[in-house]
Order: sequence, then structure tokens, then C-alpha cells
Amino acid sequence: MRYVWAAALKDIRRRLRDPLALLIWLGIPFVILALLSLVFRGGEISPQARLLVVDQDDSMVSGLLVGVFAQGDMAQLVQAEEVSEEEGRRRIDEGDGSALLIIPEQFGNAVLTSQPTRLTLLTNPSQSILPSILEEILSLLVDAVFYLQRLAGEPLAAFASGPPEGAAGFSDPFIAATSIEINQLMTSLTEYLNPPRLDVSIEIEESEEHKSLNLGALFFQSMFFLAILFAAQGMSDDVWVEHRLGTLRRALTLPPGVGGFLAGKLLAGFLLMLAMAVAGISAGAAIYGFPAANVAPSALWAATSGMALLVLFLLLQLFATSQRAGSILSTLVLFPMMMLGGTFFPFEAMPGWMAAIGRRMPNGWALERLKELLSGSATAETMLPATAALLATLVVGTWLAARRLRGGFVGR
Amino acid sequence: MIEVEELRKEYGDLVAVDGVSFTAQGGAVFGLLGPNGAGKTTTIGCISGLRQPTAGRVRVMGHDVVFEGPASRARLGVVPQDLALYEELSATENLLYWASAYGLRGAALKKRITESLEVTGLLDRAREPVKRFSGGMKRRLNFACGIVHEPQVLLLDEPTVGVDPQSRVRLQELVKAQAAAGTCVLYTTHYMEEAETLCDRLAIVDHGKLIAQGSLNELRAMLGERDLLRLSGRFPSEAQIAAALAGVEGAEIVQAEEGSLIVAAPQASRELPALLAALTRVGAEVWETTMTRPSLETLFIKLTGKELRE
Repeated sequence: MRYVWAAALKDIRRRLRDPLALLIWLGIPFVILALLSLVFRGGEISPQARLLVVDQDDSMVSGLLVGVFAQGDMAQLVQAEEVSEEEGRRRIDEGDGSALLIIPEQFGNAVLTSQPTRLTLLTNPSQSILPSILEEILSLLVDAVFYLQRLAGEPLAAFASGPPEGAAGFSDPFIAATSIEINQLMTSLTEYLNPPRLDVSIEIEESEEHKSLNLGALFFQSMFFLAILFAAQGMSDDVWVEHRLGTLRRALTLPPGVGGFLAGKLLAGFLLMLAMAVAGISAGAAIYGFPAANVAPSALWAATSGMALLVLFLLLQLFATSQRAGSILSTLVLFPMMMLGGTFFPFEAMPGWMAAIGRRMPNGWALERLKELLSGSATAETMLPATAALLATLVVGTWLAARRLRGGFVGR
Repeated sequence: MIEVEELRKEYGDLVAVDGVSFTAQGGAVFGLLGPNGAGKTTTIGCISGLRQPTAGRVRVMGHDVVFEGPASRARLGVVPQDLALYEELSATENLLYWASAYGLRGAALKKRITESLEVTGLLDRAREPVKRFSGGMKRRLNFACGIVHEPQVLLLDEPTVGVDPQSRVRLQELVKAQAAAGTCVLYTTHYMEEAETLCDRLAIVDHGKLIAQGSLNELRAMLGERDLLRLSGRFPSEAQIAAALAGVEGAEIVQAEEGSLIVAAPQASRELPALLAALTRVGAEVWETTMTRPSLETLFIKLTGKELRE
């Protein structure tokens, strides 16, 4: 064990003397993360409903109704766009929009005279939440109109019915009295109507699995694991470096033999990845709010699974015919793992079939367990078999690597 | 002590080592002499546990290298043909790593590292990265890594290849010091002078086979104190030459090729006129003659029919 520790220390020293590789492994994923965070505005999700409006009435009242959606906080939630009926129906059929509101002719007149009228709201079935919000808002507005009719029904009806018969227009006293009455009413209601007093609270119910995660956190997990993947692939190459240096041949003549040599290399990989994991996940916990208690088990899992990935890449290197061939072979394996295994694009951003494939890849499988540990949804029932599988992979992979190392590899 | 019995190593159809047997004792330098590709490195590889023998048996201090691998390797120090150093690390860090594999630790480890650096003349550069060392310094550190744990058996695989004369002399002194301290040293080389200077006993190998072994004096005696005459020119068939040389006492063809002839003969300088006359009688035309006194090189040529550096 003392030799294994010395061998690991030797490899760590060598890595630290050449920190460029370490910086690249860590740097590339986190530069990508920073860029993605900028693109997605720091990871904040701000849903916005697109309301297509067909205003067949084109009156002051219908204008006021459409205007409600462009005022205050409502404007951040709803983007209203006036369209023709034909275009509106076509676009809602194509799924381009959350809902289509059709305001019929004579709508304004009906409102002013307390006559029945019908607003039509066609919703987009492919969206579940935003159309419901629009429906709710419209329902509240209709209620508001109802109460307005109750409170100011008479003056509104008087205006709607036009001036008395034979008169050229409304008399000045009538206009003055009605104006004062409406002004007093509006003054008392202005707090509620301008803009409409609607408190919209958006609560997106997360699945239990991804509770408390936002887009930034999802990308963080992927990018963090990408760093682990890069480190595993990068470190696997060291067996060729040792071969070139002649130190591999000498190491195999030592009493601990090939087992000690490999164990030292894996321990060095584990410790370096553990350091990366502790730093990365602690930063992630500070930025994205992962519970602090989850940092240690998550870092341990990340480093152990990183070590298993190192063994897999090491096997590829050992079966390659040259360092160059090993580099090409491991890169050929790295890219699909990276792109499909959730370590570049989160599974949540992938089509279902692709995510299903990715979750079965070694890195995808390990990443899913890491997410469970980070979110606190991991249980002993899931983690114990997973840990056993990981350790079994390590043992079998190391045994195969030792056989290959002792066999054909060293004689090259 | 190293005991090698009927060692055989095959790589597919290629037989790299074919029935080699020898014993190397403690307190002496045993040389394995042979041209490149003779099987010296493969033999060292089998002794050090790097390669699995196809057949035969190898014991290091009584431990079988196949069945008691760790025990035999624990008694070995290996200085490989090529450098085996971590260039990013310092000399001390290199020694620390290699020594730790043999269980050295604490004060004993520090003491041995200091001693190894001192005997190799690297103490003042101990903390520098190896990549800043000259070739000779790297060779000396390579040697230090092999002796840092005071092995009972030291394997040196052509440690002076490509080394400047000054460093070569220094390394040879270090090897002698190891043997003088009681270590069993197995030294492979294709330098005749080095073998003659260093080795107490020698085995000559060619094409994987051991063709002669003994002390330097025993091997010289095999040559019968005969000189070697290298002749160039135009010669008839080997049978005609042999018939012509029958009249010259003690003369023997070592090698006969088109345009060159090597003949072993006692006191060749005195017999040279008679030898040239005999050759002229069978139609030979001699353009150039070189005479070599008995040495390992002449023995090697006698045994293998070719120059060692071929």
C-alpha cells in the first residue's frame, strides 16, 4: 500500500508540474457553461404566453380589453399580437401561440348596453400551463366587465343608446353630470382597474426528480461531468507516456509488479478527480443552491465513477497499437459518450429516445446517479446496487488492464 | 546469485533465447557479451520478471522468478538499457518513488537517497528537474535508481550505450564498487573493452544461444593464443584455401567470404610469409593484411565467424 501511495503521489506531482492539461480539462467545460448561462440569461426561465387576438369589433371597448394585456406586469407574462381571423386560426393550428382570442363585432356596444355577447378563446393543446393562465385572466376580465356594468350600467347605457330623440347631441348638463359620476366611480376603482388588479403568481411544479433545478443547474451538472470525462480520457494516455519514458518497463520489475503500478495510477486519478469534484460541486452548491450536505457524497461518487471511466479509457489505450492510435480510439469513444451521455446536452434538453440511449451509456448512467445525489433524491435502494456495479466495473476493468499490460503492451 | 537453467524464450516463431544456462555469483561482475539482437536484453527481461520464460528456470537468490516473482524482484535492482526516469520530477523525487517500491521509508529512505546521489555525483543537483540534466547525468541517475535500495542482485542492460567517455568511466567505477560491496552484478554489453575491463566472468551469446562462458583467462585460452589475420583480396574456394593452409602449422580458417578471409594462426607475424606464399600457390591475390592479437574480440570472431559490432 505504501508503494501504491508513492506511485499515486508521483503521478500527482507530475500532473501538477504540467498544469496545462488540468486547466484544459476543467476550463473547457466551464467556459461552455459560462457561455450557455449567458445565452440562457443566467439560467432563469421566464415563460411568456403568446396571445393571438382577432378584433372584429375594433371599438374603444375592445381596444381597452386588448390593452389590458400590454400593461404592467401582464406585459411580461403575455405577448398579445393582433392578427386576422384566418391567420390566427392557421397559426394556432400550427401550434404557434398559446391561445387565439376572437372579439366579435358589436362587442363594445354589447358591453355598454349590458347585452349578452361571446368572446371566443381557442387554446393550444400542446401547451398545458400558459393557455390555462390566459383563460383564467380572460375569465377575470369578463367578471370585471360584469361588475362595471352593475356599477355604471345606467350612464354607459345612456351613452350607448345615443342622444334623446330630436336632439342634435347630449346636453351639456347631462354630459357634465355623467362625466362626474363616471369620474368618481373610476377614481374609486382606478387602483383596481388601471392596470387591472390581477396578481398572477407563476408556480411551475417540478417533478420530484428534478426539484429545485433550473436550466443553469442542469448545464452545470453536465459540464461538471464533462470535466470528469475529459480528465479520465486525458489521464488514460499516461500509460503510453510511461511506456515512452521507459518507466513502465522498470516499474514492472518492482516487487509490487503490474498490480501496484496500476493501483497507483488509479489512486492518483481518483484523488485528482476528487479534488476537481469537491471544488466543482462546492462551487455548484454555492451558485445553484444544491444542499451542502449532498456535496461530499456527490463528490465521492463523481470521483469513483471518474476512476471507472479512467479504467475504460485505459483499456482502449492498452489495446491500441500506438499512442496515436490510442488517442484516436479514445477520442472516437469520447465524443459519442460526451454528446449522448448527458455530459454536453442535458438529458432534459434531448428528445426522449435520445435521452433513453444516453442514460444507458456509462457516463450517462453515472451522471444520473450524481444528479440524484445532488438533489437529495438518491436512496439506499438505488445507490447501493449502483455502487456495487461501479466497483465491479473497476475490479474487472483493472484486472483486464493488468493482464494486457503484463501481456502484449509492455513489449511494444 | 543468479541461476539460469536452459532458459528459452519464444516470440511466435522467433526464438530469442535458446537454452541459455549460467550462474552469476555475488561479489563479481558477470558479463553477457553479444551483438545487438543476440538475446541479452530478453535474458535480462526473463530474470527481472518483465518477460515470462517459455521454458527453463531462473532463480534470483534462490527464488524462482516465475513462482516467487515478488520475492525474487525484491532482491533485484534493474538499470535498463534506455533511460527510465520521470523528467518532470527532481532526482530526489525519482529516487523516492523507485526506493519506496522496495519498502524503504523514513530515515533509512532519506539516507539511501542521499548516499545514492552522492556516489553518482548528483547531490548538488538533487532538487532540479531531471529534464535539465545532461545525458551523462541522466545515465548516472538511472543507475542510482537501480541501486538506491541496495539490491543483492544488480542487472545492468548496456548502461553505457551512448554515454560520453567521462561518464562511461564513472559508471564503470560505480559497477565495480557494487561488486566489491558483495552485489551480484549481471552486465550486458556489446563493447569488448568494457567486458574485458569490468567482468570477472563472461558468457558470449549469439542468436539466442550461449556459445562460450568462463573467466577472461579461460576464454582467451579457448583461442589457443592464436593471432587473427584479416586478409582482403581475391581468393579461390574455401576448400582450396584449406588445402593450401594445411602446410602452415596451427593455421585455421575462421571466416572465408568473397573478397575477405580471416585466419587464426599462432605467432602469425612470423608465419605470415609462409602463409602468403601458400595462398599465392592456389591462385589467391592478397591486397591487404591486418593482424590482431588474441582478445575477446578475436575469440568472438572465432566463435561466431563475424565481427561483434555487425
